[in-house]
Amino acid sequence: MPDAGIALLMVAGGAAAGLFGSLLGLGGGVLIVPILTLGFGLPLREAVGVSLVAVIVTSSAAASVYLERHVANLRLGMSLELFTATGALIGGTVAFLLSEQVLAALFTVLLVYTAFTMARRHEPAPGDDPTPDEGPPPASGFTTAPAHPEIPPYAIHHLGWGIVGSLFAGVVSALLGIGGGLIKVPLMNLAMGVPLRVATATSNLMIGITAAASAIIYLVRGGIDPYVAGPTAVGVFLGASLGSRTAHRIDVRLLRLMFVVVLLVTAWQMAGRALR
Amino acid sequence: MTGAPMPSATGRSGRDLERSVARLLTGGTYLSIGLMAVGVVLMLIDGVSPLAIAPPFDPSTILADILALRPVGFLWLGLLVILATPLVRVAASGIGFAAAGERRMALVAVAILAVIAVGVFLGVVVEH
Repeated sequence: MPDAGIALLMVAGGAAAGLFGSLLGLGGGVLIVPILTLGFGLPLREAVGVSLVAVIVTSSAAASVYLERHVANLRLGMSLELFTATGALIGGTVAFLLSEQVLAALFTVLLVYTAFTMARRHEPAPGDDPTPDEGPPPASGFTTAPAHPEIPPYAIHHLGWGIVGSLFAGVVSALLGIGGGLIKVPLMNLAMGVPLRVATATSNLMIGITAAASAIIYLVRGGIDPYVAGPTAVGVFLGASLGSRTAHRIDVRLLRLMFVVVLLVTAWQMAGRALR
Repeated sequence: MTGAPMPSATGRSGRDLERSVARLLTGGTYLSIGLMAVGVVLMLIDGVSPLAIAPPFDPSTILADILALRPVGFLWLGLLVILATPLVRVAASGIGFAAAGERRMALVAVAILAVIAVGVFLGVVVEH
């Protein structure tokens, strides 16, 4: 294939990851890494470095919208970012010590977990918020009232769990090139009592710093290829922009079921790479 | 950090800060994507394959590469801008919190940037 064709194919691959990631509520990373490794034959660690860049692009664009609408909790996000960044620092350093097979095995687990959570996900009714009405009293006295009129005041519980979970999310993000929203959103929503919309928005805000902390380590250690990162990031941006504009017009239930199958097939192929 | 109240985000200064940070994120993202898009177009014109071996990261050559319209210069600069965008967001938030007298959140911002600096330092030390 001509060189220009490969570059355009990589833009298209990034666009597909951005589009479907946006439609399905997934971060792009869980799709980009398999596309680059299984589709273009890149080493897993290089794909992770590129994926981290793409994750920063999508999270920065989304976080700016959430902040403008006053849905994200900047103070909570920054407080937890300190720990996701520390986790990312640990993960980014450990990633260069692990073999390709171990990383592939970890990514296989991630793909199966993602498929499982997607299969179990229910479509929320309008205005539905799974935040429990009652819960233990605020562990830290952290209370906040976001400026968005549709979000009621809420109290934040179990800050210690948030800290430990954020550290873990940072390590996983740096090892596997994902944003870590799969960990942070349920953690903030179910364990800390943050409304789902605020948890999603705040997670998006935090992803930028989490991914940047490890991406900088990948950059300094030669783990990011600009010829791959450029076309992929541009594609992801275009795909995610299209996805955010069309998501409300598309019934994603069938798409979600199809993607569960796609993720499981990809997990099978990734497992084969781990056992190579 | 535990045991202290988290102030409400509803104040006017809080909303202004969130709006400023949002604009900063939007600007950084668009600038970065614009630079990388130019790099990708130059890759297509020059027939550079994404699977070709790219020159290693060297900040001192980026300007010369851009002036020579080499794709790698635009790609590296775009990558640096997108990596710097969240860091500038944290720094700007920290300054905003400090100006509003929220010393604790300003210190959190400094601590986040210190963690990133440690990462860069460790990366450079291990690599060389």
